[in-house]
Amino acid sequence: MRIFDAHRLLGPIPGDHVPSADVAGLLAELDHLGIDGAAVTPSGGLYGDPATEQPAEARHERLVTVPVVLPAVPGAGWPGDPGIVVASAPAMVRACPVRHRFALTGPVALGWWQELAAAGIPLALDAGETGLDRIRALLTAVPELRVLVLSPGYRSLRELAELLAAHPGASVETGTLVAAGAIEWLARRAGAHRLVFGTGAPVWDDAGPRFQLEHLRLPDADVELIASGSFDALRAGERP
Amino acid sequence: MSPVIDAHGHVGAWADFFVPEPDAAWLLDTNAAIGIDAVGVSHLLAVGRDTVAGNELALAEADRYPDRLGVWLVADPHHPDAAALLRDQLDRPGVWGLKLHPDTHLCPATDPRYEPLLELAAAAGVPVLSHGQTRSPYSDPGDLAELARRHPDVALLVGHAGLWPDGYDSAARLAAAQPNLYLEICGSRLTTRWLERMVAIAGADRVLFGTDACFLDPRPGLGKVRLARLSDADRALVLGGNAARLLGRRLPTALQEMP
Repeated sequence: MRIFDAHRLLGPIPGDHVPSADVAGLLAELDHLGIDGAAVTPSGGLYGDPATEQPAEARHERLVTVPVVLPAVPGAGWPGDPGIVVASAPAMVRACPVRHRFALTGPVALGWWQELAAAGIPLALDAGETGLDRIRALLTAVPELRVLVLSPGYRSLRELAELLAAHPGASVETGTLVAAGAIEWLARRAGAHRLVFGTGAPVWDDAGPRFQLEHLRLPDADVELIASGSFDALRAGERP
Repeated sequence: MSPVIDAHGHVGAWADFFVPEPDAAWLLDTNAAIGIDAVGVSHLLAVGRDTVAGNELALAEADRYPDRLGVWLVADPHHPDAAALLRDQLDRPGVWGLKLHPDTHLCPATDPRYEPLLELAAAAGVPVLSHGQTRSPYSDPGDLAELARRHPDVALLVGHAGLWPDGYDSAARLAAAQPNLYLEICGSRLTTRWLERMVAIAGADRVLFGTDACFLDPRPGLGKVRLARLSDADRALVLGGNAARLLGRRLPTALQEMP
């Protein structure tokens, strides 16, 4: 079974000293846990200001870079327009509307999301940062957009189930779905094709979700979807 | 083969959020599938609004699953007869010790109302597991260390090792400095990186495996210890050796530490 972590950070992070500060350290972490590859966001894009610095991509065959984009008025965001994002054809982009203080459903950003949706490029949003209400508003405004909800935590299962039922463009990362039986519960309601294995490491734990993946009480085909198939479909621009 | 003992579990539902699998049957099926031999639980009714009824529900589960489920009796500092009630219940089969929830009971761990309950634990020779939460006015690990100093004959377990990652280092140093203070590690914020650091600072003999099931799923909790970069000897202590030593004859016979 191929296992792909759809949510990792590469680079130094504030508040800790982490092995994934460089590519070699990150690959060692993946090897230790038997994870084949990962979608990585350079930490400089997350903790820095994309308007003034663009961290280098993660150049390794096992890694897929997820750049942080910042839709804003000219001169205050990155890149200059969404056409540049579409032209670079990333597997997925990430945005941080609260951290970087822009309006997720403001007129500038909505134009970006519509272009990304048309190009089949998914958007990753951290639930803890963005809030599920903002994500719901975005999916209502741009229903064609594919959104991967990162780090939803274990306390919002009711809201997540409703979000998945109402918005076909939404998928959910599993790493923090750690309430008892949460992954099986969501898989039964929304389908395993809506669940994407990811960890959020090194901020969040990666070993526990990796171990859990081996012990899910789901059909093998569902586990394989969660392990990598759902993300493959997401990055291929497939609609659920 | 060393036992695998989950030192921090629950059964029941909780008002703050939805728990898909709140029952002991699901928990024990899952534990059997992944290799957890026994779990000590408090009932969430007891953690919340009714310690008397909740403790009885937990004891009933221990009667139903005597070889695989033990009970932490929740100690309510507000109940005028708490010590007397708990004294009787401590002799019931399957009881592992006392559980303190200073945050839900709105009573700091160092409050005098906890004193008779700690004295009861000392007299009975049972460990005490407390919710621990860095910077909480009720259960900061520093306050739990003070409680441990006041009661040197009681093994005091800091639940969640203080919960927040920015407090793990301090909690581990407090445990290293206080012989009867232990770290119980359950929590969604723990990483293997921090587990390895806790073992290095406090010593493997001072760190206990816990999952917070059924708040949390026991599978990721166990995975953190199974996949941490620990020696086999240290991992065995964390997973169950320490719990077997502290719980002694209160564990099911098959899991008791061999002399």
